Amino acid sequence: MRYLLLLLLSLNLFAVDATLRIEKDVEQRSRIALEDASPSVNEKFFKILLSDLKISGHFLADSKHNRGDLNSNFIAPALKSKEYVLRYALTQGSGTKLIIRLLKASDGTQVFKKSYSIPTTSKAPFLAHKAIYDINKVLKYPDISWINRYVVFSRYTTPRQSEIILADYTFNYKKVVIRGGLNLFPKWADANQKSFYYTSYAGVIPTLYKLNIYSGSKQRIISSEGMLVCSDVNKNGSKLLLTMAPQGQADIYEVSSSGGSKKRITSFNGIDVNGRYVDNESSIVFVSNRLGYANIFKKSINGSGVSQVVYHGRNNNAVDAHGSKIVYSSRESQNSFGKNTFNLYLTSSRGSGTRPLTTTGTNQFPRFSTDGSIIQYIKHRGSGSSIGYTNLTSQQSLLFPLGGRKIQSIDW
Amino acid sequence: MKKIIITTAALSLLLFTGCSQNAPDLDSKGSSSNISDASALTGDTVSINENAYGNESGGQNNSSADGFQSVYFDFGDYGIASDMENALSKNVNVASSAGGRRIKIEGNCDEFGTDEYNYALGLKRAKSVKDSMSSQGINTSNMVMVSFGESNPVCSSPTDSCYGKNRRVDLRLVK
Repeated sequence: MRYLLLLLLSLNLFAVDATLRIEKDVEQRSRIALEDASPSVNEKFFKILLSDLKISGHFLADSKHNRGDLNSNFIAPALKSKEYVLRYALTQGSGTKLIIRLLKASDGTQVFKKSYSIPTTSKAPFLAHKAIYDINKVLKYPDISWINRYVVFSRYTTPRQSEIILADYTFNYKKVVIRGGLNLFPKWADANQKSFYYTSYAGVIPTLYKLNIYSGSKQRIISSEGMLVCSDVNKNGSKLLLTMAPQGQADIYEVSSSGGSKKRITSFNGIDVNGRYVDNESSIVFVSNRLGYANIFKKSINGSGVSQVVYHGRNNNAVDAHGSKIVYSSRESQNSFGKNTFNLYLTSSRGSGTRPLTTTGTNQFPRFSTDGSIIQYIKHRGSGSSIGYTNLTSQQSLLFPLGGRKIQSIDW
Repeated sequence: MKKIIITTAALSLLLFTGCSQNAPDLDSKGSSSNISDASALTGDTVSINENAYGNESGGQNNSSADGFQSVYFDFGDYGIASDMENALSKNVNVASSAGGRRIKIEGNCDEFGTDEYNYALGLKRAKSVKDSMSSQGINTSNMVMVSFGESNPVCSSPTDSCYGKNRRVDLRLVK
């Protein structure tokens, strides 16, 4: 009987330990290796998968490009130290087909298998993102659906000419949506990324349009003398924050998505731009030169008081917000001409807990991911430009090279 | 003693059962192309050509026209410098003889600003010119201001003089 008692108590101890170990595993990143079983090696696709695993913040990915057999469950001894092996086969002809198998590295047990196919080759990067999104979901890590989203950006081509382009987050996929003319400041209109707003200079004064990227239908929203920018869209897409200057003075307005109703939020005889909703859309943060230099301020949408949010730097000329989190760009050198150092800082709408996100180069256009966990930005360093991402939780960063043309504005 | 042992055994079994949760079922039946939840993959997007636009006045757009002179500004500034007074006086004369035609005032910046702030700076420059002409007796009700930010440079060389040429306000008649 004593032995039986001892046995039962021992089982209890193991049971408790097992629970603790599962919780610990959830907190850690999974060690994973990739095995390419494609008929022909595609280094670019491998690197996209690797980037996806890294920026998710949930995996420690081995950067070695291994080859493997898709249908085998044999795990090479060198990979036994990992937790998972992701075996994949990419086939491209007139379309793209991807098959993935997630195996436990310890014994080759299959955890997940899925195949994907699309009728084009250009969107192959999105297949990689979708595969990693699915694996992340199967392993019950926090959602990374931002990885599947389009980035929309405008870039200058020649003086007074631009183009608006759709891309995946790595910029390996790019497609021009609006070519020619001067069309600026694209901003997603809805959570599903079916439409975006942009400013057209086709007429005498700037006009805001909403374009459906699938049907091509275009809706005129509003026009304004001077300048017109859609800076932010509220969560349900019913309200916009616009920078407009109907009397020649740039101020921030809240406008219904049809353009029908208009409410002036700021009124200042200087520069007020770049409004972003914060604190459940009850307030905005914005950039203003009301202290003689560009800085970040906050104002309740219905109140009159304006408060300074940032007490750091002498030129903070761009801001983005998510919930109560704020990211801003700060110029940290005083060259009138040539390259200046711009760094990004994370703070809160109360201005507390400020910390730097970058330390070198020119870092501008900060944008939060839809869940607020990642910061997207443009980095200029030396002669090249890149699009950068920083995972605020895992602190991991990624940079992808950009072409030479200057980016005008970007949204994710 | 026997009662204690039985009670302990029962409690132990209860605890053991309570803690022995099934591990998350990670195995998935391999599905086919279920990719409908990634919007970027599901539809073909349009491509629109607007080359017919953005050239509304014809000819060269990155300088003043119709007898007007461009007004230049210091770095990051939208106040009119004293050496620009002559250009402003000439513009006042041209505007006064325009016969009420609509005049477009275009604000421009160098490439060192970003995002919306640079467009607002260009607009402040355009407004400085408009206000200055108004103070010299010109009726500004037929004037329209537009900021082009850094989108409309005259030159792209990495020199101070080139950057200076881009920080300007152009004036022209609306065609």
